[in-house]
Amino acid sequence: MFRWKTLTAIAVVAGLALTGCSSNSGSTDSSNSGSGTLTLGVLAPATSFAAQSMSWANESPYGQAVYDGLVHADPDGTVVPWLATKWSYDSSKTKLTMDLRTDVKFSDGTKFDASAAAQNVLRFRDGDSANKSLLALVKDAKAVDSSTLEIDLTAPDPALLTSLTQNAGQIESPAAFTSSTLKTVPVGSGPYTMDVKNTVVGSSYAFTKNPDYWAPQDQHYAKLVLKYFATPTALLNAIRGGQVNGANVSDITTVDQIKAAGWTLNDQEYNWAGLILFDRGGTVDKPLGNVKVRQAINYAFDTKALLKTVGYGYGTTTTQIFPTSSPGYDKSLDSAYAYNPTKAKELMKEAGYADGFTLSQPSSALLGTATYTLLAQQLKAIGITVKFTDPGNNFIADVLAPKYTSSYFQLQQDPTAWQILNFELLPTATFNPYKYNDPKVVAWGKTIQSGSESEAAAATKELNAYIVQQAWFAPWFRPKGEYVTDAKTSAIVQVGNAYPYLYNIKPKS
Amino acid sequence: MLTFIIRRLLAGAVLVVVITTVAFFLLYAGSGNVARKILGNSATQAGVAEKNHQLGLDRPILVQFGDWLTNALHGSFGDSWFTGQPVNDAIASRLGVTLTLVIGATVITAVFAVVLGVWAATRRGWVDRIVQFLSVLGFGIPGFLIALALVLVLAINLKLFAPTGYTSFSDSPSEWIKTVTLPVIALAIGGVAGVTQQVRGSVIDALRQDYVRTLRSRGLSTTSVVFKHVLRNAGAPALAVLAVQFVGLLGGAVIVEQVFAIPGVGQVAVTATSQGDIPLVMGLVLATAVIVVIVNLVIDLAQGAINPKVRLS
Repeated sequence: MFRWKTLTAIAVVAGLALTGCSSNSGSTDSSNSGSGTLTLGVLAPATSFAAQSMSWANESPYGQAVYDGLVHADPDGTVVPWLATKWSYDSSKTKLTMDLRTDVKFSDGTKFDASAAAQNVLRFRDGDSANKSLLALVKDAKAVDSSTLEIDLTAPDPALLTSLTQNAGQIESPAAFTSSTLKTVPVGSGPYTMDVKNTVVGSSYAFTKNPDYWAPQDQHYAKLVLKYFATPTALLNAIRGGQVNGANVSDITTVDQIKAAGWTLNDQEYNWAGLILFDRGGTVDKPLGNVKVRQAINYAFDTKALLKTVGYGYGTTTTQIFPTSSPGYDKSLDSAYAYNPTKAKELMKEAGYADGFTLSQPSSALLGTATYTLLAQQLKAIGITVKFTDPGNNFIADVLAPKYTSSYFQLQQDPTAWQILNFELLPTATFNPYKYNDPKVVAWGKTIQSGSESEAAAATKELNAYIVQQAWFAPWFRPKGEYVTDAKTSAIVQVGNAYPYLYNIKPKS
Repeated sequence: MLTFIIRRLLAGAVLVVVITTVAFFLLYAGSGNVARKILGNSATQAGVAEKNHQLGLDRPILVQFGDWLTNALHGSFGDSWFTGQPVNDAIASRLGVTLTLVIGATVITAVFAVVLGVWAATRRGWVDRIVQFLSVLGFGIPGFLIALALVLVLAINLKLFAPTGYTSFSDSPSEWIKTVTLPVIALAIGGVAGVTQQVRGSVIDALRQDYVRTLRSRGLSTTSVVFKHVLRNAGAPALAVLAVQFVGLLGGAVIVEQVFAIPGVGQVAVTATSQGDIPLVMGLVLATAVIVVIVNLVIDLAQGAINPKVRLS
């Protein structure tokens, strides 16, 4: 009997110890500004912590934890001062001069100055970041004096300031450039410093408040933990178990469960999904060179049904690759290709393809079979047969090679027209693999690049309308993303970025 | 004994070389355009070509393999192509976590399998039927499904354990228990089911032997016969199954670490393999192969130690 009593007592004490001890979650005291721990779920591990190699989008919180940017962006994308307090362009828009703060130090004690800024700009341009093309037009960067930075461009870059709000503007201590731990142990002047002891590279990254930070009002927590979740299930469990305070949801079908757990959903739409008709010159697939065929393809898709099936109903149907925040976006254009297979067939007939034709497209098992089945069914209804090949790991490489004349994709909606032009539209754009050159698009591009703000806005509007009319793409919808926050935390989503900016994630007041 | 160990170690070394060679060429064939994966959608073709050159991927495959092998023989496995972390550091920081789970699951498997197997073999009847039913159930339901159910009930609803993550024992013993219990249970369930059946069968066979009847006729208690004599004879096949189980658990940890977001080698193995991070995957393959060779050697030696009939020469 005595042994049973002892065992019972041990079990009770162990149970109390387990339930009484605080969990290792980030939801500990986070109610006071500058105190507590903020734990965030992220969908990608950090590619690198070397400023010249860092990625952005889902990886932006890593960089923003440890580095300061030359400039900041408000949630709507407006560029505001940060390390640079003011700036101006020369009349040719090829020389940007920035006045820099003089009260900033890196965590290794090195003083921040214009020389450090110039070196970082050039290192990013010459580095191996996925976004190094953001600074492709930078000819040189130099320190005029210790607090004045001058960036010379080969041609005007209307997206330069926006780029400098992102990884292209992050400043690392020059003393760390030759460090053997450059890629894993960052040395910046940002609000946090890496807690190397508690960091497991590729899984969980711990940071502590930088005690000498020059902008303490932007340090909302004493500690920051960024946890990578490889599976939606693990992320959902962490959310429901209260182990994170905020996270980007990777599986949109889990949002109802997250909402039921009392979390706040912060909606955002930063991608578009649909078909890219790469060979709009008809060099390989002649029919795609005919605008009527491309328009027929747009009419063939029942985008409302596709949104419901492929996007699980989360998102907004669209015909445009420009985001709603762009001056080029025109809501009325979203009904330009309302589902109309009869009209599509008429257009096919007018184009001389009444009997249809065959397209080869890449498919990816990662996107599920429903997407491709529906795509093929809806094009088959107007006579276009699609044959799919799964290139596996070479999907993007094969698409950009280019080995296919059209493909289903989900692509980002960059915040500026200049970025969209360089990403998808100009002859040199990455996602224009056939280098299709349309003089009208190039001309609008020049206005957007060099014109005044109002001229650029007007050109953007005309450009977007033209792209829709010419049906270079067949967008289906803008998928909705959800950034979710617990009851103690607030976040403001960022235009054009998958993750809210770290300085906009705060304790709920 | 020494000759045996040397022979096994040499065979193990050959096995490790074969495994790593095959793994390298399979990885190379299946990883696709690694530079594009590193740089993402936004990178230009020129940037991708530059990255390929930087990583040495534009060299002939045999040259790449030769370089890897030479460096590996000098104990250098390079840096991860994706995180920049030295492969040695990446494995060292994670191996302990995975081994904690796997060793914990192995110990639980051994203890429960012996208790249940002996109980079923000696009591037979309804006890045997229940144990056999539970074994079939343990086999039939995948460990990760049980893990998810455990997380829902014990971690999310009752908040007794952590649903994800890992805390080291040195940081907090109570947190450590909260983070490892569910993954260890999830890993162990399949093993307990398998080894229990093995122990049960071996004990039943041993109980039918003449020496058991002799021991009983000399008045030894059932407990003494079973634990001092029968288990020694029945232990050898059970240990062999346990060794296979240990190796299987290393593989099982891959899924469990994903479900529980535990920073072990299984988690990084999945990420690195899907990315085509050849230096990191090769380091992981090598580490796993070495562990498997060592575990098999230890089990062989243990079998000899507990049963003189299989003692090694």
